[in-house]
Amino acid sequence: MTLSTGHSAALDFAQPEPPDLSSGKYVKLWQGPQHPGITGNMSLELVLDGDTIVSCKTHVGYLHRGFEKLMERRTFIQNFTVVCRIAVPEPTFNEYLYSHAVEEISGIEVPERAIWLRTMNLEMMRLASFLMWIGGQSGAFGQYTVPNWTLAYRDYVLDLFEEMTGARIYHMYIVPGGVRAGLPDGFEERARKIMKGAEKLLDQIERVMFNNVVFKARSKGLGIITPDMVDPYGIVGPNARACGLARDIRKDEPYLAYDRLDFETISGNEPDAYGRAYLRLQETRQSINLIRQCLDHAPTDGPFQADMPNVLHWKVPAGETYVKAECTRGEYGYYMVTDGSEFVRRVHVRGPSYTHAIAVMERLAVGTNIADIAGLMVSLHTYPPEIER
Amino acid sequence: MNELLERLQRHFDVNNINVLKPGMTTLKIGKDSAEILIRELRDREGYTHLNFITCIDYIEDGIFTLVYMLHNYDSKHTLGVHVDIDREGEEMTSIHTLWAQAWTYQRELREMYGINFPGSPRLDEDFCLEGWDQIPPMRREFDTRAFSEERFGHREGRHSEVPRVHMKMELYPKRGGDEE
Amino acid sequence: MNLRDLLSPFFVWQRAFEKPYTSIRPTIDRPGAPAYRGFHINVSEECVGCGSCHSICQNHAIDMVPVAEFEGRTGDSGLRPRFDYGRCCWCGLCVDICTAASLRMSNEYAWISEDPDEFHFTAGIDDKPWQNNEHGYRRAEGYHLYPPKRIEMEMLSPDVSVQSFEEVARGYSEAQAKLEADRCVECGICVATCPAHMDVPDYIHSIRDGDYEKGLQLMYRTNPFPATCGRICTRRCESVCPVGILGEPVAIRWLKRFIVDQVDAQDYQRILNDQIIESGHRVAIIGAGPGGLSAAYYLRKKGHAVTVFEAGETAGGMLRYGVPSYRLPDADLDKDIAYIVSLGVDIRYNTRIGKDIEFEQLLQDYDAVFLSTGLSVPSNMRIQGEDHARVLSGLQVLADVASGRDPGIGRQVAVIGGGNVAMDAARVSRRLGADVTILYRRRIADMPADAEEIHESQEEGCNIVPQAIPVEITTADNPQQVSIKWGEAEMVQDPKGGRPRPVLQEDRMHTDTYDCIISAIGQGSDLDFLSKENQQQLAIEWGKFTPGEYQQSALQKVFVGGDVANRTADAISAIEDGHHAARGIERLLNPDEFTTTQTDNTGELT
Ligand SMILES: Cc1cc2nc3c(=O)[nH]c(=O)nc-3n(C[C@H](O)[C@H](O)[C@H](O)COP(=O)(O)OP(=O)(O)OC[C@H]3O[C@@H](n4cnc5c(N)ncnc54)[C@H](O)[C@@H]3O)c2cc1C
Ligand code: SF4
Ligand code: SF4
Repeated sequence: MTLSTGHSAALDFAQPEPPDLSSGKYVKLWQGPQHPGITGNMSLELVLDGDTIVSCKTHVGYLHRGFEKLMERRTFIQNFTVVCRIAVPEPTFNEYLYSHAVEEISGIEVPERAIWLRTMNLEMMRLASFLMWIGGQSGAFGQYTVPNWTLAYRDYVLDLFEEMTGARIYHMYIVPGGVRAGLPDGFEERARKIMKGAEKLLDQIERVMFNNVVFKARSKGLGIITPDMVDPYGIVGPNARACGLARDIRKDEPYLAYDRLDFETISGNEPDAYGRAYLRLQETRQSINLIRQCLDHAPTDGPFQADMPNVLHWKVPAGETYVKAECTRGEYGYYMVTDGSEFVRRVHVRGPSYTHAIAVMERLAVGTNIADIAGLMVSLHTYPPEIER
Repeated sequence: MNELLERLQRHFDVNNINVLKPGMTTLKIGKDSAEILIRELRDREGYTHLNFITCIDYIEDGIFTLVYMLHNYDSKHTLGVHVDIDREGEEMTSIHTLWAQAWTYQRELREMYGINFPGSPRLDEDFCLEGWDQIPPMRREFDTRAFSEERFGHREGRHSEVPRVHMKMELYPKRGGDEE
Repeated sequence: MNLRDLLSPFFVWQRAFEKPYTSIRPTIDRPGAPAYRGFHINVSEECVGCGSCHSICQNHAIDMVPVAEFEGRTGDSGLRPRFDYGRCCWCGLCVDICTAASLRMSNEYAWISEDPDEFHFTAGIDDKPWQNNEHGYRRAEGYHLYPPKRIEMEMLSPDVSVQSFEEVARGYSEAQAKLEADRCVECGICVATCPAHMDVPDYIHSIRDGDYEKGLQLMYRTNPFPATCGRICTRRCESVCPVGILGEPVAIRWLKRFIVDQVDAQDYQRILNDQIIESGHRVAIIGAGPGGLSAAYYLRKKGHAVTVFEAGETAGGMLRYGVPSYRLPDADLDKDIAYIVSLGVDIRYNTRIGKDIEFEQLLQDYDAVFLSTGLSVPSNMRIQGEDHARVLSGLQVLADVASGRDPGIGRQVAVIGGGNVAMDAARVSRRLGADVTILYRRRIADMPADAEEIHESQEEGCNIVPQAIPVEITTADNPQQVSIKWGEAEMVQDPKGGRPRPVLQEDRMHTDTYDCIISAIGQGSDLDFLSKENQQQLAIEWGKFTPGEYQQSALQKVFVGGDVANRTADAISAIEDGHHAARGIERLLNPDEFTTTQTDNTGELT
């Protein structure tokens, strides 16, 4: 496949003409906001011709809590407890990027041990998130065995989070300056055991879900993303890698300990729902491998927090930065502007779903049929809260 | 990098070039040439990726600074294009023809800051807010606390004392600094 | 279609023989991980009610409330955190910031009640089943939300400092002061403990803001001797600073000094902007020590004509004649005094009440009198031979040095005592070139002197001999010398639980010879200038006054303060006595203004 990702005049972003609903030819159907096939509270306004979708509009707002605004009103330390809520299944990317942005602007050097613990934390997050996603993808095509397995197994990973961070979901572990604690006794052993189990589970899933005639029939050819769509649509992460682009921020612009980890960017050549799913399966395995490497290398003593000012009246110097990390869905970023006061001037949170769930989804949905919408949506791996912030 | 900046300076009225870190630079350009610059960056300079569009409210200066964050995958360089517009009612050229997700950002900025992008599709459709009747909430003058005090009740029986004041009342009511 | 894809999914059945992930058990009995962020625990005896938990909580989930079990006292506001679980997000920031590490979280996470008000509770006070849970989130060792260590003050090295009377503590740079000021958690617990109740968190805040003029104004609200106190204050405030519980207390004294050092004396008038409207009342003050001058300042601000009678030839009292200049340079003391004088305070030097003017006269001529004559008579050691010519008093040696006279101590000196006067006498002797031995009855840890003073005197080469009880002074062979017989002491536990007592060991006696012995075991008052009748009227006991409210003595017109009237005998107490007496005198002179506020417990008087 030749990879022309450049912008070409051929791509037309114009909004399709709205179908004439009064013609009696169409049915309008709302999928969501409460729907098992929706990846969170979000809704799609679908217009059907028979069971073929002729137009799709994404509606968000059900999870809008005004985080970016809230952050302008809270102190730098207080914000770290807020940001994790911006992507429920992957809170730690928010914790890391928020902290990293603050550290970068204030010139705080995070100690080595914290760097490794952060890296491991983020990879554990990827593992947990992908496990949930795999279940979602399988479930979206009506196969409920795998979700039972993966969601249950994700809880084992959450057990690890609970031990490491004191919480299962909103970990609040990565904090400006470092992390909040070292690893508890015996953590490594338990983590390795859970990694081993996860590997076995992934093998089973490969046999049951991927080598599966029904799954293949439903996912192959669905939601094809061509390389020439990637940049014009701002597509990132596995959605971009599945069509052959070897782009991964962990490798291309390494942060934390990634430049010291042994791994390769995984890219595929099947740019459809199946190909993306298979790519994610491999990335889940890769994540297990990276967690093991972190367990091997993370220092077990030494400081895990930089010398910090008194956070009660911490003023961060005026500055600006954009920091990003590769989350399960691609480029996750924090743009931060500070003005020298005790409060941040502006934070913009950039989540991949912003385009994947709206511009991309609205385009890919057209021409598919109603039964495939849920599967398509999951295959883009979107989290509504990061759209709305 | 320097070559690029030189080139840009030669052809455009860019200023305030600010190297934030290796791999990231910001610059400022006047509102009217912004769209052409961004198009140029996308088509000729390899900045094919739009990371995001956002806005910073400098209420004290009466301006909104729009930020277009662009990325070049080959040089691994990120360029932030800043454009100042008047806070009160100034419009900005839409770039919805340049990236498919741009209109979504513009629709959000419309809702959250009240900025108009003429021609941008579905600009006035509700984005996150449904039935919002206040000023656009991301504007600095929108007071979240006042809003929530007005909308939501307080729990009964909450009362907090300030340690220092409490101690003064209890231990040395007649001493200490005299209030003027 | 490929056959493998058709068969492979049936692999699912293999799982039927594996251990299931789920198991049936009551959901409640799974304990949270050992570091789980569950319900709050507060060890309320350790909590000091600083309110830092309240300050940091972004959800306003914590109120600081009075509880029956604790009252406000030194170092404890008596308030305790009360949680509103309708707002808490279990972030644990409150635990991280807790200055006393009293606040923790248990690993308990299940709590069911039909009454929503139950979820509003005072941790550690309201009985909760998890209060004693061993497990749960604690702030990790090595994790801090404020710097636990203070910014070191630069000091002259001991080998340099003993060469001269140059000030030892060099003062903070602006950057250092800002870093140190940053450590304050602004709880204000110190304010209650400071005898003058200075607005400590506020002036520290002014340092963070770089607004030193504001800082100066704040300090003068309660203390017209900031340059002095910024150097030699006994800093009780620091002993209760909650930051000191897990780390080192904020260097409040050095920060005070920093502010004063930033402001030029010439600018005081403009910054403090004390407007004086003459009241027509006349007040006499006896003694130009910190007590007398503090009263003078606050009385003058009220417009009263103030005359200070001072026996000596300069102002400052013991700060001038006692405290050595390497701790408090004259220029800094003068900076404080000059401003007070500039408001029109009339000081009559070389005027001893009882000699040059009678006390009765003052009672007749003035509307009120404030008396703060200090402690000037060295206490006796009460051992044989102590009237030997080579036994000098610490006060005398210090006064000589302060006045530029040679105290004639010689080269080998023994200092008797363990208080600050002893340390000062010892360190001054070192500066005069003597070898110094300090004999003290108890252990070093029991010494009443400031620990820093003890440490510095040792660094400067003073040899401290603890548990050494002087027994007798005898004449030495050389008439220029003197011998001291002293015995070693054993510390004996007090059966009643008091502090251990030194008991002389008769079999371990020593006799040493010195060029002089400096006795510095305490000082008493000299109130002979008052007639017997006055003394009776003023209800003096053991050479001390027992003032009533507003420092008023038994004589309505006479107010007393400073070392002669308090038990703490330090500058800041004298300053507060003077300020408080000024409030009392104001009430006496303008009673009408207070009739309405008589019962007002805010007690704002002036
Ligand atoms: C060696 C030494 C070191 C000290 N170090 C410290 C320290 O580091 N920190 C600290 O806080 N405190 C220290 N103190 C204590 C502190 O100096 C006193 O607590 C403080 O000076 C008391 O103030 P005052 O106004 O009560 O009396 P004083 O300062 O003693 O002043 C009394 C004044 O009254 C005058 N006077 C007495 N009788 C008469 C009379 N009849 N007529 C007219 N005038 C009279 C005296 O000449 C004197 O000037 C130290 C004291 C000494 C002796
Ligand atoms: S845990 Fe967090 S939200 Fe709860 S009371 Fe403490 S600081 Fe507030
Ligand atoms: S921070 Fe700790 S010591 Fe201070 S009030 Fe809260 S619980 Fe008590």
